[in-house]
Amino acid sequence: MAFLELKSLNAFYGKAQALHDVSLHVKPGEIIAIVGANGAGKSTLLDSVMGMTTTTGDILMEGKSINQLSTAEIVQSGVGYAPERFNLFPYMSVRDNLLVGAYTSRESIESNLAIVHKLFPKLKERQHQETSTQSGGERQMVSLGRALMTSPRLLLVDEPTIGLAPKVCGEIAVALKRMCDELGATIVITEQNANFAMTLASRLYVLESGVVKAEGTVDELRGDARLTEAYFGA
Amino acid sequence: MTGIRWYHLALWIAFVAIMFVMPQLVSKGTLRIIIMANFLAIFAISWDVLSGRTGYISFGHPFLIGIGAYTSAILTKRFDVPLEVAMPIAVLMTMIGGIIVFLPALRIKGSYFALVTLAFMELIYQLVQVIRPDLTGGTRGMSGIKTITRGAVSNYYLSASLLIAIAFSMWLLMKTQLGIALSAIGMNEESVRGSGLSTTKLKLFAFLTSAFVAGIGGAFYVHYLGSIAPRALFDINFLFTIIVAALIGGASTIIGPIIGAFFLTFLLEFLRPYLPGAERYFIYGMVALLLYMYQPKGLIALMHTGWNKLTGAR
Repeated sequence: MAFLELKSLNAFYGKAQALHDVSLHVKPGEIIAIVGANGAGKSTLLDSVMGMTTTTGDILMEGKSINQLSTAEIVQSGVGYAPERFNLFPYMSVRDNLLVGAYTSRESIESNLAIVHKLFPKLKERQHQETSTQSGGERQMVSLGRALMTSPRLLLVDEPTIGLAPKVCGEIAVALKRMCDELGATIVITEQNANFAMTLASRLYVLESGVVKAEGTVDELRGDARLTEAYFGA
Repeated sequence: MTGIRWYHLALWIAFVAIMFVMPQLVSKGTLRIIIMANFLAIFAISWDVLSGRTGYISFGHPFLIGIGAYTSAILTKRFDVPLEVAMPIAVLMTMIGGIIVFLPALRIKGSYFALVTLAFMELIYQLVQVIRPDLTGGTRGMSGIKTITRGAVSNYYLSASLLIAIAFSMWLLMKTQLGIALSAIGMNEESVRGSGLSTTKLKLFAFLTSAFVAGIGGAFYVHYLGSIAPRALFDINFLFTIIVAALIGGASTIIGPIIGAFFLTFLLEFLRPYLPGAERYFIYGMVALLLYMYQPKGLIALMHTGWNKLTGAR
């Protein structure tokens, strides 16, 4: 059974439709990537899973519909959301940012903090630093850390490498891989950087204007000349 | 609780000690000015809990203070209800007022929310003048309202104790996960939702807490003054003094609104001999604007920078 399954999902902002008949699935313990350009609907897709948009169609987690659940209930059922790093709380310390994430999982604050600090030792060293004064990479670590504080089984990560140096992208990739391997998390990332997505994900979905244009493993998608030119480089 | 350091507690102890010995250091005239600063600080803290934390800027705070003040005044003066009964009822009524102010926040935010709250203030201003003036005193308000205690020194200790109790409990509350989440709403409400928190419940809590403090402040204020006049209570200058006190001192800090309230009260008193009329507000507006342009985080941030320079800390 798929851990997460979207069936014919449509998402709306008011009268504007942002996703059209999107279907995808993620197996337990798998990392998949949603690849697409700006405005393709990648963030909307994650927002929809989190119950933060108006949707039609089915969103199933472990076979059970989560369409009708509130965002709080979705988080409590084991979905963690790491939005783009620009969505941190800028005038709060690293620790306070993490604690906001811990609100729904208060009984495991210390153990979750230990996990975050083990993955990102820098966050422990700089726990009292305001996130507005941190580098892009550090802020991305805070964003991921905050999602981990909810004790997630499914982690949704929105554009983790946007604007980051290649070396930092590598560090983020290692951390995500460890979350999958060591913590057993199932991970969905959205990316414009298809090469980064390929290093991490076992399967990719290509999203264009809210429609899934292609899906498959990296090797399968590399065979498509148009997609290779548009997303994966020559 | 998070982020509480030893020097925080040391500063609180120092603050309490200074407030305790104040009557031995200053004249009774100055003490009366400090009493007004204490009340302004309570109102500014109340505004800050709501607007400074959640980012929902309220222009209608005198609406809440007014409910507290009028309820307690009417109950004690018109119905001879004892103070110890009237004041909790006043606080409860103010919290109901807080829920009324909260309702628009479910649908609107930003400048629209601010304008709606301003309308609440105008509404209660008009209502107390025309609805049952036999109870509210109409346009003239009420005088001869029971006071809790008499004399500058005892009133000072009462207002100072109230301020310390409110400020310390709010400070502790803001150090909890709940307080941190409230501050997070002001920075990025969507992101708070994304972390699985119910922003509706959090905002309701902030509005109720703010109303609770405004109700206590309003009730004690009216029983200190012994009179109430709608034109003074629902005056736009009173509203701006509360907001400016919080901003100039440093919003979202608890101690900032206290510093701002003392700074503003003494600035206005200093200007009184030179500018006895409302022109004073023009000067303080200029001072507030300049300070705010130079340091948007307020006087508390200036003091923090100064302290760091003094101690060589980064």
